[in-house]
Amino acid sequence: MRKKLRKLTVENVIFTTLNTTFLLVLAAIMVYPMLNQLAVSFNDALDTVRGGIYLWPRIFSLRNYTVVLNMSSIYAAFVNSVVKMVVTVVTNLVCTSMLAYALSRNEYIWRKPITLVFVLTMYFNAGMIPNYMLMRNLGLLGTFTVYWLPQMISTFNVIVIRTYMKSIPESLIESAKMDGAGEFRVLTQIVLPLCIPTLATIALFVAVGSWNAWFDTFLYNSNKPSLTTLPYELQNLLASAMTAGRNQQGASQAAAAATGASNTTTPASLRAAFTMVTSIPILVVYPFLQRYFVSGLTIGGVKE
Amino acid sequence: MQKSKKSLWTLIKSQWALIVMSVPFLLYRILFSYVPLTGWTMAFQNYKPQIRNMWDQQWVGFDNFENLISGVTSNQFWRDFRNTLGQSVLTLILGYVCAIVLSLLLNEVKNVPFKRIIQNITYMPHFLSWIVVTGLVSTMLALPTSGGIINVVLMKLGFISEPVLFLNDASKFWGIVAGSHLWKELGWNTIIYLAAMTAIDPTLYEAAEMDGANRYHKMWHITLPSIRPTIVILLIMSTGYLLESGFEIQYFLGRGVNAKWAETIDIFVLRYGISQSQYHLATVAGILKTGISVIVVGFVNFIAGRLGSDKLI
Amino acid sequence: MIFRKVMALLLASVLVFAMAACTGGGDSTSGTTTTPSTATAPATTDPATTAPATTDTTTTPADTTTAAPGGEAVLSPDNPTTITIWTTSSESAPAADNKLTKLMKDELGVTLEMEITIPDNVDMRVGTLLAAGEYPDLIGTGDNQLRLLEGGALLRLNDILDSGKYPLLKTHVDPYIKQLSYTGGEVADGFYIFPNYNRYYGEIPGGTHWGTGFWLQKAVLADAGYPNLDNMTIEKYFQLIEDYKTKFPEINGMPTIGFEILSSAGLEWGMTNPPLFLAGQPNNGGVTVDENQNAQIYADKQIAYDWFKYLNEMNAKGLVDQESFTQTYDQYLAKLAGGNVLGMHDQRWNFGQAFDALVERGEIERTWVSLMPVYEGETPYYADRDVMNVQQGMGVSVSCQQVDTVMLFLETMMSERWQVLLSWGVEGEEYLVGDDGMYYRTQEMRDNDNDLTWRASNRLMAFRDQLPKHQGTLDNGNFYGPADSKQEFFDSLQQYDKDFLTAYGKQTWKEFINQPPDNPVYYPCWNIPLSNDAQTANNQMTAAAVSYLPQAIMADPADFDSIWEEYVAEVQMANVALYEQEINDGIQDRITRYSVGN
Repeated sequence: MRKKLRKLTVENVIFTTLNTTFLLVLAAIMVYPMLNQLAVSFNDALDTVRGGIYLWPRIFSLRNYTVVLNMSSIYAAFVNSVVKMVVTVVTNLVCTSMLAYALSRNEYIWRKPITLVFVLTMYFNAGMIPNYMLMRNLGLLGTFTVYWLPQMISTFNVIVIRTYMKSIPESLIESAKMDGAGEFRVLTQIVLPLCIPTLATIALFVAVGSWNAWFDTFLYNSNKPSLTTLPYELQNLLASAMTAGRNQQGASQAAAAATGASNTTTPASLRAAFTMVTSIPILVVYPFLQRYFVSGLTIGGVKE
Repeated sequence: MQKSKKSLWTLIKSQWALIVMSVPFLLYRILFSYVPLTGWTMAFQNYKPQIRNMWDQQWVGFDNFENLISGVTSNQFWRDFRNTLGQSVLTLILGYVCAIVLSLLLNEVKNVPFKRIIQNITYMPHFLSWIVVTGLVSTMLALPTSGGIINVVLMKLGFISEPVLFLNDASKFWGIVAGSHLWKELGWNTIIYLAAMTAIDPTLYEAAEMDGANRYHKMWHITLPSIRPTIVILLIMSTGYLLESGFEIQYFLGRGVNAKWAETIDIFVLRYGISQSQYHLATVAGILKTGISVIVVGFVNFIAGRLGSDKLI
Repeated sequence: MIFRKVMALLLASVLVFAMAACTGGGDSTSGTTTTPSTATAPATTDPATTAPATTDTTTTPADTTTAAPGGEAVLSPDNPTTITIWTTSSESAPAADNKLTKLMKDELGVTLEMEITIPDNVDMRVGTLLAAGEYPDLIGTGDNQLRLLEGGALLRLNDILDSGKYPLLKTHVDPYIKQLSYTGGEVADGFYIFPNYNRYYGEIPGGTHWGTGFWLQKAVLADAGYPNLDNMTIEKYFQLIEDYKTKFPEINGMPTIGFEILSSAGLEWGMTNPPLFLAGQPNNGGVTVDENQNAQIYADKQIAYDWFKYLNEMNAKGLVDQESFTQTYDQYLAKLAGGNVLGMHDQRWNFGQAFDALVERGEIERTWVSLMPVYEGETPYYADRDVMNVQQGMGVSVSCQQVDTVMLFLETMMSERWQVLLSWGVEGEEYLVGDDGMYYRTQEMRDNDNDLTWRASNRLMAFRDQLPKHQGTLDNGNFYGPADSKQEFFDSLQQYDKDFLTAYGKQTWKEFINQPPDNPVYYPCWNIPLSNDAQTANNQMTAAAVSYLPQAIMADPADFDSIWEEYVAEVQMANVALYEQEINDGIQDRITRYSVGN
């Protein structure tokens, strides 16, 4: 009680007011692009071409969504994207945390050379064709495996988790080992539970990365329609909207004779609708993970 | 000799579990990241993809490197090299400092639902593609008659009397790049710091309060030192990306009039390499970038070690 | 310490990849001998199994179950075949329920397995295709024809065509076989690719000029009392703009924009091409060609100076949009769609969205008509004869295990029935036949054709894109495409347009532009293949143009000359001589090879 009262000092009130105001302004600036895309996605496409759509549609239309949701491949793409994301996140978390634990142990003899081998890979890329040939020689072209196997470990994430693990008090691990726990038990029963906030962060990074990636679909699986993914389909849809807009085979004249709302779509409007359709699932994931690092599990409780 | 071998063997035996947890991944990494580096040989070839045995390619020694750094397009290359470096340093510093500051401010919010909502909103722009963001940036920077809100605000505040065509002025381009990055990635970049802050022991704050520490003392002496390992490691890692200032933002916002300060190495590679099917140019540029990155990271890591700080390796 | 380790590791990795290189190289060379996936297609060359099949097909329309005279290959539902295709197209893939793929399966027994790569990604995909060395049966090349051809992906078709089994295909290419044959020396000389567009049969119809022009808002001409447009000059063109802008400083509540310049990335020609047309030259890209067939760049010449100097003066008068050089393509379209832009130099297809947006709002008078200003004494050459698209098309791959079947399939696609199906669609659903036998569409049909979802289920646009086409007039008197049909054109005209055309005593928009003369034999120069070094020079010139010309146009007229000199210096830093040399070699090469009697 006393502590609570002490917090209501003048200084505190001023700070909280300023801080809240600042964060609200910042949030307004940050939310604008998403709201703008929302408005564009619900506006008639040809009307959008005129510009001037900010926060509210001028001529309401569901046309952009109809086109996106009627794509014949969208449901397969959605399922593939979800499965791909889940498998990538799970394999990545398991492998990354195992490796990070080994590399966080100061006594581990090969800690430095292995870290070096991994760190270097952050700064080079062999190039598209060599990577393609590797996947081909491994027989991974046209498979689902190619979505997660090459993504199983991200060096960046290994380093982030390793750094966090190093902040765990050594005495905790030592005492567990005294009780006869092996490395695997220490990892799963002591270290990982303490790492949940960071693991949640990594899961989010990996999930978003996987969800947005189109290049692997294009490079390795573009001749397998059954393995297509959402971002890749978006690319193709936008390209076809672009040609439809420029089509010489009567498209313009058809619109010219049309009256009322047109059924024309433009790349910009389709992109907006597709952004909404693809962002919402991932935006939903965030609040679930968020509770792990906002209210947070703290390791303070177990510190000596 | 005999003794050290033996002790190595006992070490290995005692650390078998750690080895099992890491060596398979080491082999994995070598297979997926190092084996394809055979492709770097194309930097020394007049590469043609249809020739599948690399030894049958035409070998040209260091000609490709020479062409890049002193050939007919070398003026453009060095100009683009400068732009890449300048833009990424500006983006890095601005983004890095602002993300830490925002994390600290969010950490001070005691109202959990408010904090969550703010966080949810600030990370939203991360999900928009660069083409959407640059389209909005371009509109906001336009003249007031075309929706150029920034001109409107600056004129209302009296900073300028005439509207400014920001994208016409090459000298403003680096700032526009850094600002756009900040807009898109600020909220996203705070996530990692906020996660690190969850590890801070609340009793530390209580103890500090007992000693009469105010809010700023606590930020400075408890919060920041506690997330220092994360801050330092992220900084060391990102110094390796000083030659990666991106491609899309410059591609979509770059105009002929600002090209001198807009074009980056990636744009250069697109124009003179990929669009002409000269794969080796991208590889040569990639090797140069990697070389510089590794040197910079190694150096920064060494300095960090000398300063007694956390190190990457 | 750390450096030594880094070095050691780099060395180690060099070793690793050197070792891997040996094995990797071996792997991939042996990999090329593996059977391509097309081997799953049933053997179609056995006469014993195919002969009964041909007699069995009485249930399907006779003209679609084409059996080759030799009896080796046959396409029939009793003999299911899978044909694999890789093609470049920005059109979307057919939906699973696509009615034309179903028809193909029902009538021909052909299952199409298509991989479609959009133009943005095609450079990369061609790289991996060539590196792997395995191809589907058919390859739709897009702009990468030369790379695929010289990379050894394509089958030489001369002997196959000469077999006489594919008369439609043979007729399609025979008159142009010289233009269509490869002579570059990397692979055997000969014919490899069927061109995809602009191989015309008979009359070339249509009422809209889709190409280049100096566009002027119809309202400007109407307000000026429909002035005579003959002998148009840039002075007259800008005078019309200036008069109207003075009279109406605002349109739709927005300030009137005199002249808009298109200069966004990839579309720089909107800014750089006008000198060519003003000088009475056809669209040869970066060069002008004199009467001795000698090509030279014009970027730094007097014709360019005159135009940009004039534009600089017009800018000083406030007639040029200040945002011309900072806006994106989308913003450019938005400006045009606002209705307050009086003029611009562009190609009609490029601003279709803006045009349609104006029409949709009923502001027909704010749309534009093409004018063709030229310098004193020059003859306008804005419209050209459509050039056969020799740099794109479809060919058979070297991996194809069923060449006869695939060729027969292409031959079938060239038949009138399939040409109509692929271009117009299915009778009664996508078009109707009038009493006079002419095809026409209802408004609903036109709207459907504009609908991406409908197209995915009912059209095969992506497949058709690179396929050879019977453009022009079909044997039954109809035109190949709906856009070519005169009836379609007149039906789409609004009353304002009809009145406008009447005021000028014209019937189509094409009459506002010159009658295209016969193309020179070497035309057009922009598709002459260039070496990497020449292409680099070309890219450098473009970079100089987009960087300096905007500055020159926007500059104070007193500063124009000094900026122009900087620009010319920058242009001349590129290897212009090499670029011009290669263009001229290309011109001479075409003249030698294509000319009659050679």
